[in-house]
Amino acid sequence: MGTENPGRPSFPARTAATPFAAAPPQNVMPFSSSGPLVGSEASGFRPTPPAAPQPTVPFSSSGPLAGSQSSGFRLPPPPRYNDPSVPPPASNVPPTGGPFQRFPTPPFPSTVQAPTSRVPPVGQPIAQTPAPPVSFRPQPQIPPVPMGAPPQSVNSAPPNVNVPYSVSDSSFPAPMTNFQSSFPGYARMQSNADLQPPPMQSPFPSHQGGYAPAPPTSSTPFLSHQGGYVPPPPVAAPLGLQSRDQMQYPGSGAPGSIQGLIEDFSSLSIGSVPGSIDPGVDPKALPRPLEGDVEPKLFSEMYPMNCNPRFLRLTTSGIPNSQSLASRWHLPLGAVVCPLAEAPDGEEVPVVNFVSTGIIRCRRCRTYVNPYVTFTDAGRKWRCNICSLLNDVPGDYFAHLDATGKRIDLDQRPELTKGSVEFVAPTEYMMRPPMPPVYFFLIDVSVSAVRSGMIEVVAQTIRSCLDELPGYPRTQIGFATFDSAIHFYNMKSSLTQPQMMVVSDLDDIFVPLPDDLLVNLSESRSVVETFLDSLPSMFQDNVNVESAFGPALKAAFMVMSQLGGKLLIFQNTLPSLGVGRLKLRGDDLRVYGTDKEHMLRIPEDQFYKQMAAELTKYQIAVNVYAFSDKYTDIASLGTLAKYTGGQVCYYPGFQSAIHGEKLRHELARDLTRETAWESVMRIRCGKGVRFTSYHGNFMLRSTDLMALPAVDCDKAYAMQLTLEETLLTTQTVYFQVALLYTASCGERRIRVHTAAAPVVADLGEMYRQADVGAVVSVFSRLAIEKTLSSKLEDARNSVQLRIVKSLKEYRNLYAVQHRLGGRIIFPESLKFLPLYGLALCRSTPLRGGYADAPLDERCSAGYTMMTLPVKKLLKLLYPSLIRLDEYFLKASAQVDDFKILEKRLPLAAENLDSRGLYLYDDGFRFNIWFGRALSPDVAMNLLGADFAAELSKVTLSERENEMSRKLMRILKKSRESDPSYYHLCHLVRQGEQPREGFLLLSNLVEDQMGGANGYVDWILQIHRQVQQNP
Amino acid sequence: MVKLTMIARVTDGLPLAEGLDAGRDPQDEFYKQQAKSIFKNLSKGHNESSRMSIETGPYIFHYIIEGRVCYLTMCDRSYPKKLAFQYLEELKNEFERVNGDQIETAARPYAFIKFDTYIQKIKKLYLDTRSQRNIAKLNDELYEVQQIMTRNVQEVLGVGEKLDHVSEMSSRLTSESRIYADKARDLNRQALIRKWAPVGIVIAVVLLLFWVKNKIW
Repeated sequence: MGTENPGRPSFPARTAATPFAAAPPQNVMPFSSSGPLVGSEASGFRPTPPAAPQPTVPFSSSGPLAGSQSSGFRLPPPPRYNDPSVPPPASNVPPTGGPFQRFPTPPFPSTVQAPTSRVPPVGQPIAQTPAPPVSFRPQPQIPPVPMGAPPQSVNSAPPNVNVPYSVSDSSFPAPMTNFQSSFPGYARMQSNADLQPPPMQSPFPSHQGGYAPAPPTSSTPFLSHQGGYVPPPPVAAPLGLQSRDQMQYPGSGAPGSIQGLIEDFSSLSIGSVPGSIDPGVDPKALPRPLEGDVEPKLFSEMYPMNCNPRFLRLTTSGIPNSQSLASRWHLPLGAVVCPLAEAPDGEEVPVVNFVSTGIIRCRRCRTYVNPYVTFTDAGRKWRCNICSLLNDVPGDYFAHLDATGKRIDLDQRPELTKGSVEFVAPTEYMMRPPMPPVYFFLIDVSVSAVRSGMIEVVAQTIRSCLDELPGYPRTQIGFATFDSAIHFYNMKSSLTQPQMMVVSDLDDIFVPLPDDLLVNLSESRSVVETFLDSLPSMFQDNVNVESAFGPALKAAFMVMSQLGGKLLIFQNTLPSLGVGRLKLRGDDLRVYGTDKEHMLRIPEDQFYKQMAAELTKYQIAVNVYAFSDKYTDIASLGTLAKYTGGQVCYYPGFQSAIHGEKLRHELARDLTRETAWESVMRIRCGKGVRFTSYHGNFMLRSTDLMALPAVDCDKAYAMQLTLEETLLTTQTVYFQVALLYTASCGERRIRVHTAAAPVVADLGEMYRQADVGAVVSVFSRLAIEKTLSSKLEDARNSVQLRIVKSLKEYRNLYAVQHRLGGRIIFPESLKFLPLYGLALCRSTPLRGGYADAPLDERCSAGYTMMTLPVKKLLKLLYPSLIRLDEYFLKASAQVDDFKILEKRLPLAAENLDSRGLYLYDDGFRFNIWFGRALSPDVAMNLLGADFAAELSKVTLSERENEMSRKLMRILKKSRESDPSYYHLCHLVRQGEQPREGFLLLSNLVEDQMGGANGYVDWILQIHRQVQQNP
Repeated sequence: MVKLTMIARVTDGLPLAEGLDAGRDPQDEFYKQQAKSIFKNLSKGHNESSRMSIETGPYIFHYIIEGRVCYLTMCDRSYPKKLAFQYLEELKNEFERVNGDQIETAARPYAFIKFDTYIQKIKKLYLDTRSQRNIAKLNDELYEVQQIMTRNVQEVLGVGEKLDHVSEMSSRLTSESRIYADKARDLNRQALIRKWAPVGIVIAVVLLLFWVKNKIW
């Protein structure tokens, strides 16, 4: 589309904005005297000046189009219409049948810019004219604002063309009631057939005549003369590409009904009475993502061969065609990739074996063959979709083409029909034979670890998972423990008991045995089991308080360096001996709020970063499990996980009675989930764009190759792209993610996800195709990275600033013409962005100041959020809140009706009824909130006899009654729906401070809390900033 | 002692299994590459003998080919040849027993990587040359290894290299002779021009003069 609009790029962003900023006053002036809205037009049209927006007056809110049209046709036009830029009707007739985008350019050379977005209008949800105001607004949740739909093209419309709709504009500031009253009349006007719905008014003036929607009932003579583009009936207009096809219908085609071109964005009314100083927002009307994450449909519908959005999501599927356009998109431009996302049954990624022919790849850019490549020359050549080089088709892969140019064997070639596919890698993709899955456990056995009961839980869990470890019979396993010395265990299969070897020389670490420290699980099974059974008792009398963590880490590295694999570290005491010794940091209150504050969130000792680099080189991934009740410097320990593609699990103040279940579940998940070993990942994209920065847990091996010693389904990676060329000439940009890995079964594979996205020439289109989930994911990673180099305050401000900038840009696109003075307007696709932004600012890594979250929790939450896939992250940012008691009291017929889980409430304290029972679920834990006035029956049924006791000491368990079973079923259901983390259940009673505070109230992101804003204040604040002049 | 064990299909050099002994030593990497080129040579059919020892640096490769599968190991030079071949025999028996029927159909590299656990196990038995078991094997007169040929790696890999070299030379010869022919033709043409150009120019001038003369007078 970009290329068809040559005028556009030459206007830099700012200058484009200026003409229209000046325009409205100009235009409005002449008419202001003639009273509200219609006057001018009507006067142009008919001698009798109608009186304002009364229903009886035809044309009261008459479309500007009608005005101008009529002027062109019947009446002596008002002077303004003689303006040269308003073309005579004759020239209005576009080339019949030509695509809509095309015609504005030739016929209107004088209209300064061709309207920027001709595509969008058609794709819009359609407003039926006769319908009440609601129909203009696709979002029902913002009822008070009926006129939410200014069109896109307005931006570039030159002043003179603006005339008509400046008139209609005047209806916007009018009080709502007034406005609505104009509708009946408006509806009536339809019968007069030369009017259109308000939303349409504005798009057309700029290319009047070119685009005249047909009225629903009759088409008047001049309309048909018009010959312009008449949109097809609204019913059939879906979004996206299809709409473009439809646009090619010639003019007078479908007189079925008026199609309103609604820009799909919403506007929020702030200040229902114009001029009021203290604007009030209706909190109920604000958008909330109560349905959770919605994957962008548009993207996959436009390109059905794209990979599923669970693997790859772009922050906007409209790629800007120029650098200037990209710079006006103030949100991140990039992608979130989750290469191994779990696919539901029946949608597994197909495996393709190319060993006989070698994998088909482009000679120049190394792109893998995918559904978007095209075959030419009778099937002997194929053109790479990314660099458009013509490649030869190898003899073994040759197939004839049918009449449409498709290969005849298409249905047997998943790689040519599916966006996601796995290739079996030939030997060239192997540095060495595929490694077996290796698990090495490094366990802290100092006194605090023993006391917390961690060792016992870990040993039991590992033992119970031995059967399910992936990769049987090649799986290798090994153990080492440490306190002030390091203990190795010889687990040779011929032994009956493991032999312990103690190395206490911490300065010069050596490994006491060359092998048998890492053993084949299937051979040494009995020894391993004996070891795990005896491990808890071995150290139960240990009183050692030291921790030689650094040396132990080095020793583990030496044992594992032959093969690589996964290193699981269970750590309880702040490392105090040998290299990598850590100090207590963060207890100096004076540091907080200064420029040195961020130093607490980054590792102090370079040892950990260097170690992580070494580990990655030898294909070792580190997962850190930390349990301390005191400060353990997660910031430093987490570095190990960050650069090796691992994860950090932090259980502050671990006690096996409380957290045992959580650790058991999460460790078991870590051990048994499908894992990809010794992998590297690269994302390729078309010419002119390039991925420049990557965010997540990995090590960058070259500029664009991510080294990932281990990947699993719970890890996602974000990346940002930039435009390298000032102008993209292609219509489509393709993305291809390739993950080369060794599966646990010992096969080397390449998983390839391919997606295409259109290049767009205008900002409105980018906004429409935005994916709020991906935007928020990239945002949160950027914000967390920012906390590592500056103050929390700055990180939060940068989030806010970018939201404000983007809304301001959006406002510049539309607001001025429509005088949405008192409103916030934002694109439909990003309506949740402000709320997620607020939630992000209040999430654990970014919230408040020193006192609001312990340093370790902040860091570990930061590390976790860097890896979360989109869905999970959104759930964490805006958790679900569900009322349970009503459900319990219902008849048991609906026992298995889990619809209740979908009835989410806004996260505000006002939604907590003191007579109710609520479940709060953020994907990591449940908080069950007992209202003060909750019927004792319910509490008794759920908690048994101790329902009146302090709830922090009560644990939930299933009891012999229906209610309790129901609750348990619900909890189980939610846990099953999201197995990557275990939801630990906390019970809290209303008014039980301070637990209620930190468990629930501080997480109700819509409420004001401490220094943080509530949702309403936040919106107002953003709104104020948006309104400020640049 | 055994440093490296590899099993590959002879027909196309596809690796089937490999021991887990791959160290990270860059030097080991070098010998591994050599082993791979030996497989490549074998797949071209350069070496027919089914048992062979190949010396390379401080090590020595031993291989046996049986049922279109090549079992190769790399040991120290001091390691008894007899033991090495018995080790390979033992691997071969087990491999054929477990995977025998799938060898021909294997389509991906390292299709039988699971065999590495067995390789690992057997290897340990052969580590110590002075263990009872191994001494007994060494003394076993029935197993004869004396007639197995020993060659140098350069020779073995050289055969292929020489052939490659020859074909490369011949192809270079063809292309160069073609270039020569082209050049010769070009030179001929130039010589011709050089020879006749002056004469032609003189004639042209004379004709011009005549013509001018005719025009004027």
